Amino acid sequence: MKLKREGLGWRILRNILVLSGLILILCPLYLVVINSFKTLEEAGKNFFALPSSLNFTNFIELFSNSNYWVFLSNSLKITCISVGLILIFVPSLSYAIARNFNKKYYRSIYYYLLMGLFIPSQVIMLPVTKMMTGLNMLNHTGLIILYLAFSLTQGIFLFVNYIKGLPYEIEESAHIDGCNVFQTYVKIILPLVKPMIATLLIMDTLWIWNDFMLPLLMLNRSQDIWTLPLFQYNFKTEYSFNYTMAFTAYLMAMAPMLIIYCMGQKYIIKGLTAGSVKG
Amino acid sequence: MKKFKPNRLATSSRATYFGFTIIPVLLYTFFYVFSVINGIRYSFTNWDGMAQNYDFVGFKNYISLLKNPYFWNSMKTTLLYSVMLVVCVISISLTLAISLNSLKWFKTFTKSLFFVPAMIGGVTIALIWDQMYYRVVPVIGQALGIDWLSQSLLMTGKTALPAVVFVHAWQAVALPTIIFIAGLQQIPDEQYESAQIDGATLFKRFRYITLPYILPTVTINLVLIIKQGFTSFDFPYALTGGGPVRSTEVIGILIYNDAFKNLKFSTANAEACLLFVVVAIFSLTQLKLTSKRGND
Repeated sequence: MKLKREGLGWRILRNILVLSGLILILCPLYLVVINSFKTLEEAGKNFFALPSSLNFTNFIELFSNSNYWVFLSNSLKITCISVGLILIFVPSLSYAIARNFNKKYYRSIYYYLLMGLFIPSQVIMLPVTKMMTGLNMLNHTGLIILYLAFSLTQGIFLFVNYIKGLPYEIEESAHIDGCNVFQTYVKIILPLVKPMIATLLIMDTLWIWNDFMLPLLMLNRSQDIWTLPLFQYNFKTEYSFNYTMAFTAYLMAMAPMLIIYCMGQKYIIKGLTAGSVKG
Repeated sequence: MKKFKPNRLATSSRATYFGFTIIPVLLYTFFYVFSVINGIRYSFTNWDGMAQNYDFVGFKNYISLLKNPYFWNSMKTTLLYSVMLVVCVISISLTLAISLNSLKWFKTFTKSLFFVPAMIGGVTIALIWDQMYYRVVPVIGQALGIDWLSQSLLMTGKTALPAVVFVHAWQAVALPTIIFIAGLQQIPDEQYESAQIDGATLFKRFRYITLPYILPTVTINLVLIIKQGFTSFDFPYALTGGGPVRSTEVIGILIYNDAFKNLKFSTANAEACLLFVVVAIFSLTQLKLTSKRGND
C-alpha cells in the first residue's frame, strides 16, 4: 500500500541521490586501494583502472624502509593506555559526583569540570606545549596524561546524568547486604553503565587514534615516537613524487580502524550517535 | 549496634567517594585549567616563546591584533569556512537521511557505508583528497571542458577555501546523517498516511510533520558542526597550510603559525583568547538551548 503511494519521481530522485553519495564516498577510497597495488609507472599510465596484477612492492617497501611498525605500535600504545585510563577514572569520578550531588564539593567539581566545554582546543595548546617542554614531558607519557586530562569534561558530561538516572534501590540493597562503596561501584554500577562505557570507549578511541594536533605539538621532535597521523603528514613531503607509495601508506594507516569498523559497525554507529546526541 | 553500622559505613564511603575524585581533579586542574590561565597570562606579555625574560605589556597585543589586517582576514575566513561547512553538512546530511530512511533494500548496509568517513582521521582524509584534487579533479574538469575545474582547486585563492570545506564536509556529514535518521525514525508512519489521505504535498508533509519532529536533532547537529568549523585545524593545515596567499588561513592555522613559526607567541595567545570569547558565547547559547529542550 505505502509503496504504491510513494511517488515514482521521488523514488528515482532518492536513488540517484544515494547512489551519487555512495560514489563520492567510495571513489577516493577505491582509488587509494587500487593504486597502492600499482607501480608508479603503471599508475601514471592508467590511474583509474584496476591493477594488472597484485603488486606488493609498495607494501614491502613501506614495511621494510619506513618505521611503519614502530608508528603503529606507538599509536596502539598511546590509544590503549589513554583509553584504558579514561575508562578507569571517568566512570568512578562520575559515580562519586552523581551520588553526592547534594554536597557542595561534588557539585562544584562537576561545574568546574564542565567549564572545559567552553574552551576551544587552541587556547590550551600553546601554553600546554610550553608547560610540557618545561616539565620535560614531550613524550608518550606526557601525551597520555594530557589525553586523560582533556577527556574528563566530555566524559563527565556523558556519565553523570546517566548515573543519576539509575535507580538507587539496587545500590541500597547492596549496602544493606554489606557491600561498601567500592564494591557497589564495581559490582552494581559498572555493569549498569556498560552502554555508556561503550560510547566513551568508541568516541575516545577514534579521537585519540586519529588526533593530529597534540602529537604534532608534543612528538614532532624525533621520528621514533611519532604516531600514525604524524607519520602520514611527514610522509607527504618525503614521498611527494612517489604517490602510489603514499597511497599505500594512507591505506595502511586507515586499515586498523576500518577492520575494527567492519567487525563492530553496529555498535560503533550506535555508540557515536549516543555520545554526540548527549554531547 | 544497628545505629553504629551506617555511621561507620558513611565515613568509609565518604572516603571512597572522595578518593574517586582526587586524581582526575588534580590532573584537570594542573594540565587544563592551569594551562588556560597561563595562556591568558601570556597574551598580556611580549614573550616570543623562546626568550628567558618577558614583560607584561597590558592590552598591547589585543590592540595591535585589532589593527592587524591578517587577523581580520583570518576571522573572516573562519566565519566563511564555518558558514559554508554548516550549510553544506546540514543540507546534505538532512537530504541523505531522508533518502536513506525511506530506502527499501540494503538500508543498514548503505548506512554503514556512508559512515565510513567518520572512522578515518582528518589528516588521512585531507592527504587523500590532496591527491584527488591534484590527479582526479582536473581530469574530470578537462573532460567536461570546465575551466576552473581543470587545475588543482587548492592552487587558486578563489577555489581553495570551498575545496577545503568540501573535504571537511566529506567527513563531517556521516555523524549528522545518522543522528537525523535516529530523529526521523521517531515519526509515526500514521502521520504521513493521514496527511497523504488529506492530500498534503511532499513539501507540506516535510514542513508540518518531518521538520517539527527533527528540530531537536537539527539543533544538536548545528552546534556540533559550528564548533568544528570555528576550531578547524587538521584539514586546512594538511591540505593548504593556509595558502595560497592566506586564502585558507583560518584562525587555528594563524594561531599555530604565529606561535611556532613567526615567533609571536604572546600574540598567538591573544588570538586564542579572542577565539575563546567567541566559542564561549556560542557554547552558552548551546547550553541554554539544550537545557530548554531537556525541560520540555
